[in-house]
Amino acid sequence: MRYASLFWEYIKNYAKTRLTYRSDFWIEVLSDLLYQGMNLIFILIVFQHTPSLGGWSEAEVVFVYGFFMIPYGVFSTFFSIWNFSERYIVKGEMDRVLTRPAHSLYQVLLENVDPPSLIGSLVGAIIMAISWAQLGLPFHLLDIAMVLLLVISAVLIYAGLYTALSAISFYSDAPTGIVPLMYNIQNYGRYPVNIYNKMIRFMLTWLLPFAFVGVIPASYFLAKKTDDLSQLALITPVMGVVVFTLGLLLWNHGVKRYRGAGS
Amino acid sequence: MMSAYIDFIRIRFIMMLAYRVNYYSGIIIYAINIGAYYFLWQAIYGDKETLAGFTVTQMTTYVAVSWMARAFYFNNLDREIANEIRDGSVAVQLIRPYSYLLVKMMQGFGEGLFRMLLFMVPGMIIVCLIFPVTLPTDPKTWAIYLIMLFFSFLINSQINILTGLFAFFVENNEGMMRMKRVMVDLFSGVVIPIAFFPGWLSAIMQWLPFQAITYLPSSVFTGRTPTSEALHVFVIQILWFLGLLVPIWLTWRAARKRLFVQGG
Amino acid sequence: MLAIDVKDLRKQFKVQKNREGLSGALKDLFKREYRELTAVKDISFQIPQGEICGYIGENGAGKSTTIKMLTGILVPTSGDIRVNGYIPYKDREKFVNGIGVVFGQRSQLWWDIGVIESFQLLRKVYRVSEPDFRKRLNELVERLHLGDLLNRPVRKLSLGQRMRCELVASLLHNPSILFLDEPTIGLDIVVKTEIRDFLMQMNKEQGTTILLTTHDLQDIEALCSRVIMLDDGRIIYDGGLDELKNRWSKGREIQFQFASHTTLDRLRQLTATLDVSWTAESDVTARMWLPHAVNVSDALACVVGGTEIRDIKIFETNTDDIVRSIYSSGSASTSKETVVS
Repeated sequence: MRYASLFWEYIKNYAKTRLTYRSDFWIEVLSDLLYQGMNLIFILIVFQHTPSLGGWSEAEVVFVYGFFMIPYGVFSTFFSIWNFSERYIVKGEMDRVLTRPAHSLYQVLLENVDPPSLIGSLVGAIIMAISWAQLGLPFHLLDIAMVLLLVISAVLIYAGLYTALSAISFYSDAPTGIVPLMYNIQNYGRYPVNIYNKMIRFMLTWLLPFAFVGVIPASYFLAKKTDDLSQLALITPVMGVVVFTLGLLLWNHGVKRYRGAGS
Repeated sequence: MMSAYIDFIRIRFIMMLAYRVNYYSGIIIYAINIGAYYFLWQAIYGDKETLAGFTVTQMTTYVAVSWMARAFYFNNLDREIANEIRDGSVAVQLIRPYSYLLVKMMQGFGEGLFRMLLFMVPGMIIVCLIFPVTLPTDPKTWAIYLIMLFFSFLINSQINILTGLFAFFVENNEGMMRMKRVMVDLFSGVVIPIAFFPGWLSAIMQWLPFQAITYLPSSVFTGRTPTSEALHVFVIQILWFLGLLVPIWLTWRAARKRLFVQGG
Repeated sequence: MLAIDVKDLRKQFKVQKNREGLSGALKDLFKREYRELTAVKDISFQIPQGEICGYIGENGAGKSTTIKMLTGILVPTSGDIRVNGYIPYKDREKFVNGIGVVFGQRSQLWWDIGVIESFQLLRKVYRVSEPDFRKRLNELVERLHLGDLLNRPVRKLSLGQRMRCELVASLLHNPSILFLDEPTIGLDIVVKTEIRDFLMQMNKEQGTTILLTTHDLQDIEALCSRVIMLDDGRIIYDGGLDELKNRWSKGREIQFQFASHTTLDRLRQLTATLDVSWTAESDVTARMWLPHAVNVSDALACVVGGTEIRDIKIFETNTDDIVRSIYSSGSASTSKETVVS
C-alpha cells in the first residue's frame, strides 16, 4: 500500500519534470515510434523476398511483433535504468538510496520511470489487433485475460533479466557496454525461434529467455501452431516468476556486496 | 600537440582494457548476433540459391564481416557528448587548449582500435571456424577494406557527434540517440543489405550517408562489388566524410554561442 | 542512553591493483591483482544522545567510510555498531527512519522540480503524516529563511540555498541523529554561520545528536563540544575541544609595539627570570613566546617595567595550527608522547 502511494508520488514528480520540457516529451514519443517502425520495416522487407520464415507467414510474424511491443513498452516505462552503473555506482547515488527507508531497487526504478514508452505498447496492441483480424483468429473474452497474463509474465522476464544485468555493476567495474548489446539480443525473441540452431535456440529459451517475451507467448493465440512453441506458451508465467525472483535475488545479493566492498 | 591527441587514443585503449566484464561479454554477444543473423538468413533463403544478387555464401560472409566491422566503428560518442553537455563538464573541456570534438574522435578511435584488436580478430577466428565464411585471398582487397573501414569509423562517429551535440538544444535527446542507433543499424545495411530494400527505399538510401558505413565497404570485401569499382565506393565515403563536416561545424558553432550566451 | 556506540570497528577493502602502461593493462584483462586496504582500523567510541561531535581527519583518514558504516550504507568487516539501538546494516529500512543524512557534495533533491515537490516525496518515503509534515516544514522554512525558494527548481538555486534545502530534506522526518558529511563545503561565511546557528539551536531545543565531518575547523569550534580525530584509520584524539587545545598548544605569543627602538638583548635581559623567547619583527615590534607554565601577567609585568609600550596583542594558538601540527607530527602514539614529555 505504501509502495503504491510512493509510486503515485514519483509519477507525479515525473509529470511535473516533464511538463517543463514539453517538446522533449513529444520528441521522445516520436522517436520511440520511429524506432518501432524501423523494426517493422525489417520484417516487411524480409517478407518481400520469402513467403515464409521457418513456416511462419508474414501476418503471423507481424502478429508476434505486435505482441512483443506490448510488454516491451511496459518494461521500458518501469525499467529504464540504462545508466544505472554510471549514475548510481560511479557517481555514488546509491549511497543516498541506501539511506532511505524503501527497497533500493524500487527507489531506483521509480526515480527513472519513463511513461512515454507506454505509447509503444499501445501501437503494439493495435498491430496485434489488426493482425488478429487478418489472420481470422477466433476471439474469446478469455483471450483478453490471457493477453494480460502473458504480457505481465513477459514484463517480469524482462524485469528479472535487466535487474540482474544492472546488478552486475555491484560486482564489476562499470559494465556500461553490456546493456546496449543485450538490446540486440532481445530482438531475436520476436522471430520464430525454430529458425535458429539448437544452441541459440536453447539460449534464447532458457538462458536469456527472450523467446518468452515474444514468440512463445504470442504463439498461444496462433492456434494452428501446434509445434512445441505454443506448448511452451503456458510456461511463460512460471518463467516470469522464476526469472524475476532470480534477478531480485541477484540484486539483493549485489547490494549486500556493494555495502561490503564499498566504492 | 599531435602527441597529446594520440595520447587520448592510448588512454581510451587502456581504459577499455579495464572493463573486463565488458570485454568477455562483448565477444560472446557479438558471436550470438552473427549466429542469430546467420540462421535468420538461412531461413529467409530457404532453398533458394540467390536473393537480390547475394549467394548464400556471400550472405554469410557479409553478415560476419558487417558485424565485425560494426564492432570497430561502433562507439557511444553521442551518449558521452550528451552526458557531458547535460552535467556541464563540456564547459570545462572548452577551456582546455584542444579541440573538444577532435578529442572525442580520438577517444572513439581508441575504443575502435581496442575492439578491432581484441574483439574482431579473435571473434573473426571463432566465426570462421563455426560458419561457412569465405574471406578474400587477395591482400589488395584486405588493404582497400581496411582503409574503407577507417572511413566507416569516421562517418559513423560524425553522425554520433552530430546526434550528441543536439543535447545543447533539447533537454533530453535520449530518444533521438536511440532512434539514431536503429537507423544506423538498419540503413547502413548491417541487418539487411541495401540491395534487399524495395526500390524506392534503396533509392533514398543512395542519398543518405548510412550505406557508406557498412553496406558499401562490406560489398567490396565480399566480392559483390569488384575491386576495380572500389575507387568509386571510396570516393563516396570521402564525399560523405567531407560533407558531414559542414553540419557538425555549424552545430558546434551554434552550440558554443548558446553556451556563452546562456552559460550552459 | 547512547546514540552511537562503536566497538572495535574495522573496514577492509579489496582494491584492484592497476598495472602500469599498455602491457600492464593487458595483463589486468586476464588476471587481476588485488591488495587489501584497511580504511578503518578497530576504532571504538561512544556518543551520548544530544551531543554534537566533530569527526575530523585528513582526506583518506577513514571519515567517510565510518559515516557510511554508521548510516547503514556499508557493512563493517568486523566490530560492533549500534546507532539508535539498531545495528545499521541489519535493519536498514527501519533504522534509516531515525536518522538524517546530508552529503555535502551530493544532492538528495530532484534537479528539475520545485524543492517542495522533493519534500512531498520524502514525506511519503519516510511516512510522515501530513500535519506533522506541515508543522515541521513551516518551522524549518522559517528557521532557515527558505520562504520563497520552495517553488523554485533545485537547478535554479545557489549553493547556499541548496544546502539549506538539503538540511530541511534530511530533517523532515524528525530524526534523532543527524549525520553531516562536509555540510559547509564551498559555502560563503554568511551561509556557514547561518547553518551553524541553526544546528546549534536544533541541538539545544530538540536534543538532536549530530555527528559531522568537516575540513573547516571553524565548524568544529562553533558547534562541537567534542572532537574525534582520525588519522590513517585510527582514532588519535577523542575528547573535548578545550582539552585538545590545552594539550596540544604549547604556549602563546604576545606581540609588543614599543615607543622607541628596543633591542632584543634589552628585552631578553628584562625577562631573564622567565622561560620565554623573543623574536624581532622590526625595530619597534617584537614577539615573545611563552609556554603555558608562565603566567601572562608575570611576563607583562617584566616588560612593562623597563620599556614604553604602545600596543600589545596576545595570540592564542588556534585550532587550525594545532590540528596542522598534529597531522604533521604523524601517528598518534608519537605525538601523544611529545605532549606527555
